[in-house]
Amino acid sequence: MGLPKFEYLEPKSLKEATKALLSTSRAVLLAGGTDLLVNMKHRVVDPDLVIDLKAISKLDDISFGKEGLRIGACTSLHDLASFPAVREFYPALSQAAEEVGAYSHQVMGTLGGNLCQGNRCRFYNQSVFWRSVRPICYKAGGKICHVVRKPGECHSTYCGDLAPVLIAMEARIALIGPEGERIVPLRKLYTGNGKSPLSLKRGEILKEVMVPPPTGKTIYLKWRLREAIEFPTVGLALSLQLDGKERVKKARIVFTAVEPAPVEAREAEKALQGNPLAQIPTDKIGAQAAKEISPMRTSTVSPAYKRKMAGILLKEAIETIG
Amino acid sequence: MAEQSFKKGVILGLGQDQHGRKGLKMKRVIRLRVNGEEREVLTESHRTLLEVLREDLGLTGTKRGCDLGACGACTVLIDGKPALSCLTLAVRVQGKEITTIEGLAPEGQLHPLQKSFVEKGAVQCGFCTPGMILTAKAFLDEHPHPAEPEVKKAISGNLCRCTGYVKIVEAILAVAGK
Repeated sequence: MGLPKFEYLEPKSLKEATKALLSTSRAVLLAGGTDLLVNMKHRVVDPDLVIDLKAISKLDDISFGKEGLRIGACTSLHDLASFPAVREFYPALSQAAEEVGAYSHQVMGTLGGNLCQGNRCRFYNQSVFWRSVRPICYKAGGKICHVVRKPGECHSTYCGDLAPVLIAMEARIALIGPEGERIVPLRKLYTGNGKSPLSLKRGEILKEVMVPPPTGKTIYLKWRLREAIEFPTVGLALSLQLDGKERVKKARIVFTAVEPAPVEAREAEKALQGNPLAQIPTDKIGAQAAKEISPMRTSTVSPAYKRKMAGILLKEAIETIG
Repeated sequence: MAEQSFKKGVILGLGQDQHGRKGLKMKRVIRLRVNGEEREVLTESHRTLLEVLREDLGLTGTKRGCDLGACGACTVLIDGKPALSCLTLAVRVQGKEITTIEGLAPEGQLHPLQKSFVEKGAVQCGFCTPGMILTAKAFLDEHPHPAEPEVKKAISGNLCRCTGYVKIVEAILAVAGK
């Protein structure tokens, strides 16, 4: 099925884009298009106005300095992954970007688009024909969620690869809106509500991502059905800061593809603290982290499988870092 | 008279779609630079580059596979980088250099990659071939001397349902070695 009809706009500034975004309730932003256009072809997104961000200058700038890394929202994943400072100082970020889709998706897809991608569900990301055998799901505008068979709930899953890594690195984002600019930690971008997963206010646009200077080691592990294109079945970002005696000073464990937002396993993080790196009880901590996530049956694999793999991934990640 | 008002609607952008949504700019003239040639197309904002290439410009070398960005059959080069034309709006690539399989080599000649695909028997049904070759070209331009795993990773977004991957990888490596 082709794309639905819409009005197309190519603003030259963020101010103009914000204004356009406020002009109608069904406007959408177009960055790389690899997620949006698929959803439009499936008619789960049907905008009357598409606002293309590509003509806005400096939105694809990337720089590295004393204060860390600054990445414009429209930087392509390919440019991000191959930026020398990212490769050298933030290898997990470069690796995660290279695991999104395939070559052409990375060239087209942008960091901002990846962070703001739509949540996914096996009842939602389907063609009109596939979906026509059931009543429309709650996320697509109907009344009932087919995952839990209840009205007014949506359990669609956030499946981005870069958000967990950036959250583990304590990245912040700059948002431009009608009331000016605000800077928030990246984790605050996600609401945990499957129906409206992003906390962007009306008219707000993600402008830039700021990553603090690298401290400690970060690793991203992506478990998926095949080694290309696929979204993660479970993804894990682990970041460890060590003290002078090789003991864990601070740990961040962030999972993706398990809930409507990236989720942090806080109890497992606490359990990691203070352990000498060489003697971490990986089985126990893996099991603890698996308890802290609540996956639903939103993909072809069972929640129990996701939970089990989450524990295994964490164990593997700790052993790899150590 | 009917034709006149139709034209007026087109020029002023006063179209109306099947849902009665007014104000949609139904048609617009876009300029595309395809295979080194300037082409003008009267088209709509919602049409993809794939549709415009195949249906308006008659460049059917670019294939329509899944139409959802999962198979890579529609890959073209935009400013030398691979792009999925089924997920690219034609209006947004104005002013960019678009290369399709037809423009890879001058008329009557074959690009080294095309020759290599023929020599190694990497073409079976041929449906994935244009996308494979263009992806391989962009990749080799960036990494002139890749190792085999890198080649496999680079073409991982291009599906070949004849499953002729071994020969495709061989063909690409043969060009890289030269």
